[in-house]
Amino acid sequence: MPHSIVKPQMSMDSVNILGKVIEISHSNLEIASRIEAILNMLAHDMRFEEAILYTLDKDKRLTCRFAARPSRLFENLNRYRCHVGEGVVGTVAQKRAPQFFTSRDVPPRFGCLFYANLDGLTDRFRVFSFLPLSDDSFIYGVLLLCSSSKDAILDSDKIILSIIAREMGGILRTYDLLLSSKKRISELATLSELGRVLTSSTEPHLLLQNIASISARSSNAAFITIKLDHSFIRLESQRFTFGEIDPAIETPLRELESECLRVRKATALADQPPGSAPEGPRFALYCAPILSRERTLGTITLCRKGEQHQLSIEEDDQYLVSAVANYISSGLETAFLNLKLRDVLKELGDAQKRVIEHEKLRSLGEMTANIAHEIRNPLVIIGGFTKRLAKQVQLDEKDNRYVEIIVGEVARLETILDEVLNYVKDVPLLLERCNLNVVLDEILYLLTPDKNWERVSVTKRYAQDLPSIVCDVNQIKQVFINIVLNALQAMAGTGTMVLRTEQVFRQGREFIAVSVSDTGGGIDPSALDNIFNPFFTTKEKGSGLGLPISNKIVMHHSGHIEVRNVAGEGVTFIVYLPLNNQRPTKEG
Amino acid sequence: MEPAKILIVDDEEHIRLLFKEELEDDGYAVELASNGVEALEKFRGSQYDLVVLDIKMPGMDGIQALTEIKKINKDQPVILCSAYGEFKQDFASWASDGYIVKSADTRELKETIKRILAA
Repeated sequence: MPHSIVKPQMSMDSVNILGKVIEISHSNLEIASRIEAILNMLAHDMRFEEAILYTLDKDKRLTCRFAARPSRLFENLNRYRCHVGEGVVGTVAQKRAPQFFTSRDVPPRFGCLFYANLDGLTDRFRVFSFLPLSDDSFIYGVLLLCSSSKDAILDSDKIILSIIAREMGGILRTYDLLLSSKKRISELATLSELGRVLTSSTEPHLLLQNIASISARSSNAAFITIKLDHSFIRLESQRFTFGEIDPAIETPLRELESECLRVRKATALADQPPGSAPEGPRFALYCAPILSRERTLGTITLCRKGEQHQLSIEEDDQYLVSAVANYISSGLETAFLNLKLRDVLKELGDAQKRVIEHEKLRSLGEMTANIAHEIRNPLVIIGGFTKRLAKQVQLDEKDNRYVEIIVGEVARLETILDEVLNYVKDVPLLLERCNLNVVLDEILYLLTPDKNWERVSVTKRYAQDLPSIVCDVNQIKQVFINIVLNALQAMAGTGTMVLRTEQVFRQGREFIAVSVSDTGGGIDPSALDNIFNPFFTTKEKGSGLGLPISNKIVMHHSGHIEVRNVAGEGVTFIVYLPLNNQRPTKEG
Repeated sequence: MEPAKILIVDDEEHIRLLFKEELEDDGYAVELASNGVEALEKFRGSQYDLVVLDIKMPGMDGIQALTEIKKINKDQPVILCSAYGEFKQDFASWASDGYIVKSADTRELKETIKRILAA
């Protein structure tokens, strides 16, 4: 008799079941719905009261995720995870071979199958099937089936179940691929958003705030905080956070940051550090250094909070934090170069403007001085002889009046010449040490008793401990009298004048900045370019020399004047005087 | 008593005339020169109680003339009288005894002369 292979017979029912499974698995249902539909079918059509599916996570732990129907068994199993190789489920996953038991041949290690004494929940079942869900290369989970109505699993059923298990493995594989591609897409989206921020922001603080917010939102972290090292750069704030830092985490966070700065390597702190309050929040921190070529610029830390034990920072988060740290380092370098470039360009533009202004004033000054001198001699002659004439000739009242007019007008012209020459001449500075807060107070004392300014409110925002500077006090007083008077006149009796003094660092030098702000409606933008030109005035009785003289005096002191004009609101004049004027003092 | 003798040096003819008449009214004996060279010639040939020097003049200017005069007689009183106000702070360094900005109002000139002659 020829050796014959006994093939188990497959019933029509089985073919129908397989047909349904294949239909479900290739349907366009959600992945979870496909799995649940197949589990339901196993429960109904194949009479397994419990159909439970374990999935494998990337830490090689098996967790039951799906069940045909809610059951106490599922709820109990759901609390535990088991590693590959552990218990029956773990062994099936490891060996990728199905196991079938009846209640008669349950092996002794079956007891540890469910990690607990579940006899009360499993007693009634007579057969148990454990099927690996795998394809040719990977295992994705394990299917557990329990039945109380079957005596044994037929060979034909075993084949059908294996086919179904393989089909479910395929679904889980698709699920896996879908999840990982979703994750990659979100990573790419995050990185591209970061890239966009890096190329669009030039302000370091905006850049950092945006980076913290993008990376915290994309990673769903409790918070992400970027801390810059003081020795690297001083911004208005050294910390940029998205999310809220729980007060209980502040101290461990700071300690972790200093440790990370010290070792220049990513450092993690998981769960509760020793010594912290046991009832405190559970958290995990991951801190990476922001490194440039030579130094450590700061740190970036991600925090996860949660209830579960052994909370830890997963590999994806670690990757994100390290990638963002690299982004920040290159982004900051670019941002600071941009800032520096912008400053240098502005400085260059300002310097050019000042040179042009200076040159304009110088040539204008020379011309004016020459004309003034040429005019003075004829004036003296006209006035002098008119007076002599009046002395020697007996004039009637009318003619006498004419003579007085001539003499008076000559005197007026002489005064104008004095003023013009006062503007163009370079008076040497009589330098002495003085405090600008005191100078401003003296000016206010001089100017404000005037009835015209009674309803102007004056706010003083003086820097305490303002260092004194070396300057020609009388000339500097003239500058501030001009500016303060302009402000008072602009406000026409009502408004607020703010005087502010502060020490500032600009273009590598220390300055005292004195600003005078008014609410007088600002300067007409078309007039703004001319306000420092001699003889330009918008006032009815102005000489047009107040601001040019002030500007000249400030320039002689190696300082400069800045105007911030808001048309319709007011104007701020800021006088910058160098803190360390190299010129000798009066005493020395 | 002899009137005080004053030498007025200015390149502007009408300024010379105005000052001469104004000072003669006050009883001074006034002589004139139109530039530094002429002033030095007069100074070498005669004695003056006071010299009034314009600064900006063609040929030899007032500052040069002042230096030469002080070389000859360091005690000679000299006043600088100019259309330029900006040198006022420097007159002492040029060993001048006074500095006046020219004006149609001659009171300051007269008062300065009186003060120096009285000293």
